[in-house]
Amino acid sequence: MLKIDSKYVQMAQSATELCELHFLVQKAIELEHSTIPPYLTAMYSLIPRTNIGVRTIIHSIVVEEMLHMTISANILNALGGKPKINTPDFVPEYPGNLPMGIGGSGFIVGLEMYSKDLVKNIFMEIEEPETPIIYPTTLMAKATLPTFSTIGIFYKAIQAKIEEIAPDTLPGDPALQVTSNFFASNLLYPILTKEDAINAINIIIDQGEGTDDSPLDEEGELAHYYRFEELYYGRKLVKSPLPPYGYSFTGASIAIDTSLTGVYPLFPNTKTAMLPDGSEAKNRMNEFNSSYYSLLAGLHDVFNGKPNDLDKNIGTMYDIKLAAEKLCAMPFPDKEGYHVGPSFEYVSPTAFLLS
Amino acid sequence: MSYLHSPRLVFSGDFLSDVSTVNNDVTHYNNETFTSNFQQYGTGSTNGWWNPEGGAVFNFKNCIVQQLTMPDGTSVTDASSDIIVGQIVAGSEGRPTGKMLDLDPDAQMVSALWCVQIRICTPDNELLLKGDIDPTCFRDMQLRQLAGGNVNGQPYGACWTSVLTNLVWGENIEASPFLSQLKSATQGNKLSINLNAFGYYYNHAPDGRFSLGKIIGTIGPWFEGEPINFAACRRLYGVLNVSAKSQSQYFAINNFLLEENSNRLSIDFGNSFPISDSLGTISATQTLIVGVANTNNAFLNNASPTPTLVDASQFTEIGIVSYISGSNQWLSQLGGIQTFNNLPDNIVEALKNNQLLLLTPSITDVGQYVLLGRETIDGVYVRADNFVQRIDCDQTVTVDFYSYQWGNILPNATINVKLERATSNIPLDPISNPICEIYGNNFPQDGITFQTTIQTNSDGFGQLEITGNEINSPRVYVDGQVYTLDYDNSVDEPLGDGSNVVIHLRDYFEVPENPTWSDISAIMIQYANLYPIMSKYLVNLANPNDLIMKKDILKFAFSRDIHDTMHMPVTRDLSDAKRTTILKWLDNPIIDVPSLKSTEKQRNQNTVSLGTPLTNNQLKYKEAVKAKNGSMPPLPSITNLFENL
Repeated sequence: MLKIDSKYVQMAQSATELCELHFLVQKAIELEHSTIPPYLTAMYSLIPRTNIGVRTIIHSIVVEEMLHMTISANILNALGGKPKINTPDFVPEYPGNLPMGIGGSGFIVGLEMYSKDLVKNIFMEIEEPETPIIYPTTLMAKATLPTFSTIGIFYKAIQAKIEEIAPDTLPGDPALQVTSNFFASNLLYPILTKEDAINAINIIIDQGEGTDDSPLDEEGELAHYYRFEELYYGRKLVKSPLPPYGYSFTGASIAIDTSLTGVYPLFPNTKTAMLPDGSEAKNRMNEFNSSYYSLLAGLHDVFNGKPNDLDKNIGTMYDIKLAAEKLCAMPFPDKEGYHVGPSFEYVSPTAFLLS
Repeated sequence: MSYLHSPRLVFSGDFLSDVSTVNNDVTHYNNETFTSNFQQYGTGSTNGWWNPEGGAVFNFKNCIVQQLTMPDGTSVTDASSDIIVGQIVAGSEGRPTGKMLDLDPDAQMVSALWCVQIRICTPDNELLLKGDIDPTCFRDMQLRQLAGGNVNGQPYGACWTSVLTNLVWGENIEASPFLSQLKSATQGNKLSINLNAFGYYYNHAPDGRFSLGKIIGTIGPWFEGEPINFAACRRLYGVLNVSAKSQSQYFAINNFLLEENSNRLSIDFGNSFPISDSLGTISATQTLIVGVANTNNAFLNNASPTPTLVDASQFTEIGIVSYISGSNQWLSQLGGIQTFNNLPDNIVEALKNNQLLLLTPSITDVGQYVLLGRETIDGVYVRADNFVQRIDCDQTVTVDFYSYQWGNILPNATINVKLERATSNIPLDPISNPICEIYGNNFPQDGITFQTTIQTNSDGFGQLEITGNEINSPRVYVDGQVYTLDYDNSVDEPLGDGSNVVIHLRDYFEVPENPTWSDISAIMIQYANLYPIMSKYLVNLANPNDLIMKKDILKFAFSRDIHDTMHMPVTRDLSDAKRTTILKWLDNPIIDVPSLKSTEKQRNQNTVSLGTPLTNNQLKYKEAVKAKNGSMPPLPSITNLFENL
């Protein structure tokens, strides 16, 4: 079960001033970002025009992780902090632990091709609710499992502290708040007051984990955990006549092809350094990472005074996507049977000078 | 003046150009005859050429600042003298990469950079200078690799000339004397920039350089009243053809600048110097002499395969081109710009109204010299600035012209403009044209209205107005028509890529009140065919339900300004009317069964009969397109450059 290092929860609980929360909210931004490369790598490993249902589900989750990252950055700005997105330590080392020791030191997250095991052992673990509701895969009932600490608890601790010590109007400069036409205004809105911040944290928790008694978030959409679980079972979670669960994985089946016709066999945790110098694959990887860097640098500026530049970064996201999809289609030089995965490495624009 | 003016900076490295190639074949625009193999890698029109999954990305890679030329003419190549030496030259950050694209499948020789940003920064990513390159189409295409292009596939090079706008200077530019002087020298908050590109890779070669090429950039001050898309300088043209069969010359086109007040001459060989490989290695060893024609020794010679011998009495030597043989150092580190400082006054005087010459001592006629290049006749240089135009029906555009003589303004020059004659349709042929009929260009001839004569004013500046008239699908399956206007000022010059204005006039199209899928399906299916990267990875443009699913992002992209990197279509080849129709449909998507709408308008017919010969310019264009698409037979390797002259 996914655990968070309790010191972070304690830090939130023991804070006496808002500035003591800056570090923690920065960590929250890092955590939200850290889930995106693993999810995207799995999604890009799906061969184009196959696994449409899988792609749709992962994509919907990634978009919400981006939303959560943006909300967290808005909260940090509202609390008077400064989001830091463009530094080397913002990008986790894959494979490795997620920020704040999420899941414990034994929980290693990497960049891998899509598989049922990856969904079950990693993605569902990351998104696991405080109280996962166990829905039957048939119309048979199963027992529920006990409660464990989660990312949600961490967010709730921050939320409680804001409620306790923040003034009604938050101290940050309202001009720094980021909104976007790509997200509904009830999901992404300027965080100006204590109440705005509290509500925004609920959006993050609910979208990720659902509520305690329903797999749906406030908008009636399945929480991430259950969307991944749909992939695990290969069936949609639908309303079920059987109380007390109300839902079961007995909906339409999701066509999933994890054979070589559906998924590129990416070499796990591909790194630039694994690719031969002077190879096309290495050049492509450098292009990919330079777009990734460009995005981090661009988002840093967006969250530090240029909120209207968010649209420009949408285009960079497509640059990243196209570069990654092309990488995944490339056989790995000298590693027979494998393809090249996107490495999501922090590569400063000067890296070529060293090579 | 120009990018060659000091203070100037030279950088070099690689460029990435991930252009798409399915659209390099006009027959691929025909939806009715399109098959999926046109999206596959491979040469010939039944394949998708060398990069069918290109995404139009253009970017700078591995580029660093190599050399500075200060106002006093001194050259700086080490960072201890100025911190900008050795710094990084990169593309955009925090916004998408720039794009490179053709005007039209029938106008592939004016490939343009759009939305390209250039940034000079330190290894810690501290910004020193940033600017946006004003859209610019390449010019002065010339043969570079004389050992052929077998490794990379593309033996030609070309240049882009433009200005940098939206300049952002670093906070710490005082630390760089060069940047401080450049900032105070330049005008209009612009800088001039020239990019010489060569050694581009079509081939998936073992060195991994597919879709990369070499690039040499020069940045200098820009001055009010100067053109944007060419350098206000003097020109030297090659006059010796590479071989008896070739239309290409050695040193075909070279910009040069005489700075009279500082007795300095700078000649840019960066887009012309013959190289032996794709990385810019020079294998020539012969002495190359720069001279000035003696009075009453005007050189009118046009390009020819036969060497012209010149006697020592006909010119005065200025100096020797100090190129470095056996490596790519001269081009990659020094940009191939030859500067002669401290010229004697008599040379400066002579250059004020006599031709610059490039010569090599003859091996066979000892004591004689072979003429390799000469300046334009009478030193006249007349050029259109914004020479590539996209025009909608009933739209009028203005093309700026500048006239110079011996590097100074030439007032009251007369420029004659004429529309090239229409080319014939090419019928279906199982061997030479296996997919479908290809329609000719430049018809109907009354599709555009323009003046046939322009007079430049006392500042050597003139304007040509071109109005697009209503045309109705003259090319049937490709939107609009390509028109080429040739211009001259009565001097017959070997101008390389020609003096012309290239126009894509879009078809007449009426925006429907409530567009249905039938109104846009042909447009969208064509894009899906031509740009497989879109349908494969982003959205199947041929499927209306897919479009509806992605309508928010599509509306976002289709409504961006043409100068926005995210503008759709990336190719920027859609009329406002058609783009508005797509946006209207996305707002209210009505799916009907696509049917061929019976157009009320009569299609423009081509009246030119098959077999009508092409003009010289049209023949050159045809050869260049073959070279561009990698379908020209390999060039013979020339290993003894100038040794047998």
